[in-house]
Amino acid sequence: MPAIIEPPPGPDEAQRPLWKRLGWFLGIALASTLATAVVAYALKALLV
Amino acid sequence: MDFDAILLARLQFAFTIAFHIIFPSFTIGLASFLAVLEGLWLSTRREVFRNLYLFWVKIFALSFGMGVVSGVVMSYELGTNWSEFSKMAAPVIGPLLAFEVLTAFFLEASFLGVMLFGWKKVGPKLHFTATVLVAIGTFISAFWILSANSWMQHPTGYEMLADGTLRATDWMAVIFSPTFPARLAHMSLAAFLTTSLVVGAASAWQLLKDRTQPESRMALRMAVGMFAIVAPLQLVAGHYSGETVREHQPLKLAAIEAYWKTRPDQPQSLVGIPDREAAKTHYEIEIPGIGNLIQGVSKDTVLQGLDSFPREDWPVVGLVYWSFRIMVGLGMAMIGLGAWGVWLIWRGRVDDARGFLWATVAMGPTGFIAVIAGWIVAEVGRQPWTIYGVLRTADSVSPVGAGQISASLLAFMIIYAIVFSAGGLYILRLIAKGPAPILAEPPPDGEGRAPGSPLAAAPAEPREV
Repeated sequence: MPAIIEPPPGPDEAQRPLWKRLGWFLGIALASTLATAVVAYALKALLV
Repeated sequence: MDFDAILLARLQFAFTIAFHIIFPSFTIGLASFLAVLEGLWLSTRREVFRNLYLFWVKIFALSFGMGVVSGVVMSYELGTNWSEFSKMAAPVIGPLLAFEVLTAFFLEASFLGVMLFGWKKVGPKLHFTATVLVAIGTFISAFWILSANSWMQHPTGYEMLADGTLRATDWMAVIFSPTFPARLAHMSLAAFLTTSLVVGAASAWQLLKDRTQPESRMALRMAVGMFAIVAPLQLVAGHYSGETVREHQPLKLAAIEAYWKTRPDQPQSLVGIPDREAAKTHYEIEIPGIGNLIQGVSKDTVLQGLDSFPREDWPVVGLVYWSFRIMVGLGMAMIGLGAWGVWLIWRGRVDDARGFLWATVAMGPTGFIAVIAGWIVAEVGRQPWTIYGVLRTADSVSPVGAGQISASLLAFMIIYAIVFSAGGLYILRLIAKGPAPILAEPPPDGEGRAPGSPLAAAPAEPREV
């Protein structure tokens, strides 16, 4: 089973290019925001 | 006692907020602790900081989730049980709560995703940025919630329209109402204290089992350092907050100190049993001549007692009086624990001092107890008003029956008992296991439980290295 909470890269692991890292950073942040918004709207739909 | 709709609605809000406040008061401090750990790992590359981060981030995520769930309930309660309050105050309170969601909650929720799922993907520096943003988000959240609550304690910058609703005329006066800065400082320090006491207790528990455990040795020193500094600062912040209460809510101060009579040179009541009906404190131990001194005013200054206010406006004096003493008593114990810990660290004996380690374990939950006691002082002390001097609690409640509120209260109690007991027990189990199993690498064949996975703390075969 893969780790759900991702550990840091090891000392020997090569870093991805900056544009890829920034892409992941923004992508995960936006996906998390979207997930929060979906839950909020689902709650609203459930109650209204 | 007559359980009418108002009392039941108050009990329900008290019950849900007492559960909720546990989580943000922990996660505000824990987010900063994680940022410090990751910063130290980045600058030193010592594994002990990384391992501590991976251990506490899981507890942070669970606590954050439970904080969100318990917080959502309260916003719905404002509509279901407190619709008159919402109708009147929503144009002022609503934007403050919306700002909290937009500027704080979304910041936390967005970058928590990076914290949990993106360390390898985004690299160490961007991951550290995410951790810092989450930590900042927790403070912004506290800022808006304290702003809204402080406005309810001492409303400024508003006007009442002909239809009875309130409208903000000066948003800066609404946001920065007079009691807000002191209350924000008091609550933020309380969050740091709560977290450091939990971290200290968890580390002490591990050291009682194995005094060589490196992560717990480091975390104990960090925690002791934190509460040794913050606990005395909290005393100062609490005093400053008390001064704003004396200035803006003299009735609350009279209830806190059981000042029954208006007079100069008030005595300082230490303990006793306040009797609201008889307007006196039974079996009281008091120190004459120092009440005014503690309030920071001269002996000749007249401090208002409860007799200056109509009896129907008095809050439940005994509850406010004792909650305050529990909070202050625990604060003093925290200062003592901090001084003891610093002395032991200085002497190089902290890891062997089993008496201190047991005391630190015992003090682990006291931050939560002090926070809840402090909120009882703030909220019960404001009664019978929801918005001090503007809207009475009796006029704030929804036109619903006691039966409806009791049914929802019962449902909340059952659901909370199941959900939060499970979550709380799981967190306690993680803490009991300690950071060592996090060090385990998954078996090469891919079997077993991975570090950082939700089942890492389960009793199955963690490989310690």
